[in-house]
Amino acid sequence: MNAWTFALRSLVRQPGRAGLGVLGIAAVGALLFDMLLLSRGLVVSLKNLLDSAGFDVRVVASESPPGTGPRVRQAAAAVAAIARLREVDEVVPLLFGEASATGPGGVALKLNFTGVDPGARRPWRILEGQDFGSPVGEGMPPLIVNRNLAKALGVSAGSEATLRGGGAQGLSALPPAHFRIVGIGAFPFDEASALTAVTRLADFRRACGLEDRDEADLLLVSSREGQGTAAAVKAIRALRPDLHSFSNEELVALFEQAGFSYFRQISTVLSSVTLVFGFLLITVLLTVSVNQRFAEIAALRALGFSRARVVVDVLCQSVLLVGIGGLVSLPLGLGLSIWLESILHAMPEVPVSIHFFVFQPRALVLHTLLLFLTAVLAALYPMRLVARLPIVSTLRSEVIT
Amino acid sequence: LVVARIRSGLLLVTFGLATTLQASPGSPAAEPASILVSRQLLEKERLSVGNVVWLAGDASGAGAQPFRIVGAYEPTPDPQHLGSPWLEARLHLPDLIRLTNDGSDPASTESVGAVNVRLVDPNDATAFARELAARLPGLIVRPTTPPPVARDPFVVLERFHLAIALVTVAASSIFLLALMVMLVDERREMVAILRLLGLRRRRILTQVFFEGLLISVAGAAFGVLLAVLLQGAFNRFFQWHYDTALVFVRITPQIARRSVMVAVPLGIMTSVVSSWGLLRREVLSLARR
Repeated sequence: MNAWTFALRSLVRQPGRAGLGVLGIAAVGALLFDMLLLSRGLVVSLKNLLDSAGFDVRVVASESPPGTGPRVRQAAAAVAAIARLREVDEVVPLLFGEASATGPGGVALKLNFTGVDPGARRPWRILEGQDFGSPVGEGMPPLIVNRNLAKALGVSAGSEATLRGGGAQGLSALPPAHFRIVGIGAFPFDEASALTAVTRLADFRRACGLEDRDEADLLLVSSREGQGTAAAVKAIRALRPDLHSFSNEELVALFEQAGFSYFRQISTVLSSVTLVFGFLLITVLLTVSVNQRFAEIAALRALGFSRARVVVDVLCQSVLLVGIGGLVSLPLGLGLSIWLESILHAMPEVPVSIHFFVFQPRALVLHTLLLFLTAVLAALYPMRLVARLPIVSTLRSEVIT
Repeated sequence: LVVARIRSGLLLVTFGLATTLQASPGSPAAEPASILVSRQLLEKERLSVGNVVWLAGDASGAGAQPFRIVGAYEPTPDPQHLGSPWLEARLHLPDLIRLTNDGSDPASTESVGAVNVRLVDPNDATAFARELAARLPGLIVRPTTPPPVARDPFVVLERFHLAIALVTVAASSIFLLALMVMLVDERREMVAILRLLGLRRRRILTQVFFEGLLISVAGAAFGVLLAVLLQGAFNRFFQWHYDTALVFVRITPQIARRSVMVAVPLGIMTSVVSSWGLLRREVLSLARR
């Protein structure tokens, strides 16, 4: 009988104890798995989100997030100058604001209102209807709304909508602006309950009373193919040192340093705690088990089992306990991550496309390695006990008692 | 005193300029206007109270003006700014307006970014905001009401921590149960002897109950003590890491009470449950070797 079979039979002989050990490791392993998913989840998710629209450089007036800091002044000149750079393929200026609308039954709706002059790439995806097509000035200004807003207003593509720019219902003195809803779109940065509308920059300025202000909150830049993001960022910085240009990687690094560090810290702390917990659990289980089986182990040694063999048996028991527990922990951890994700997603201003727990093969490999290391370390003390067991005196003591 | 704030990037550049100008012999004749700087900025730029620094409204340093640092302050801890370097200075509003004056915009000397208003009755906030917005078109007026409780980021984080705590308690319960099962198993013979001596199941179970109570109370007290000791270390580490005065961990009597209220019944329950299986068995089967 090989060491694995022998170890398995030793565990099966005490099913309650082994079951509790496996369950304990499964619970600890699930938490560890989740913390590994959490440690990189936001970073991976944000990177995917930033890359999704096809723009690899973002230009703002300050280091503050767009919409919260000063705006880029003389935006038209800035857009034209940046667009002329040979490293740049496309520049899209955006202005962020708020607007209000009245839903069915006179319900006041506060919505995120964006003005944009899109080029070939769009920072949204059309779900119904069409995109901006007709040039500015022809007919009613076009508006693309998200599904939430379309539902709240009870409208569809082709309907008319009236918005009042600049603040919540009743708190703005600006005249209402009329739009034609040309399409229903999905906006990657929308949170779950966001009401979003986007129109052309000129129409946005008109609705918000900003006609005389040549400003933009954010310039989305796409680097020219073959030139690379770094070259585009360098060229923009050289051209406009007063503006702040960031590649998607730099933005992710900035967020990682500031906003995401809390989750990285909590993930590190909880991963360490769970590993210590798992180590203690297995060490105690194996040590007590070995203590209770001293006579049996001494008898096996007397029958001819080598010292190495009985030591390997203990190690195999540890690996089996942790291995089975680790396997159970994976589906348990995935289920737990869905629950924890739903809790964290209740945070305001978290886009639907952002996920706190993101599966990566790296997390699975790290989970396996850490649990294997725990199994080996936890087995060290009971292995030492078994290795140093005096055969004759143990057997004698057993016969006397 | 009316105080205005300016933030990070701009200051970093202009303070670099300030060190050059400060050493130059052509120092200003008139006493420079006074400013306060954040402790973080003071330390980062190796400044001290009494230094004259030059600030500019433009990142190129054009139009820089001298200011004397009259004090440093600790910014109000704000979890929303965790991880962002708190590099800021506070100027008197007229000084800031003079510094950021845009020559091409005649209205720039009459403009401010925001005006904070304190009402006699805070309940009038919404009505006041509506009325003011109607009277001053183009102005965005917002009452400073807190976000709805369910969507407050800190309420969400508290819920997340509670969920993690629940999972940890579940894992601990399994660990405890495994330990108690082993402990009880080791005492099988002793229980058999007690039963043979005439002690009834109820009597032994009562003994197990009090044993569990003692162990869990001692364990809970040790846990709370350990948490109290560790909170200082946690706070010092994170305050150093994020360079903030924020308090990250605070063991309140309420939290300690809640921990004990969970740990003690859990300890007693696992003791009784693990012992019950043994006590149910016939005394002869317990005594059999």
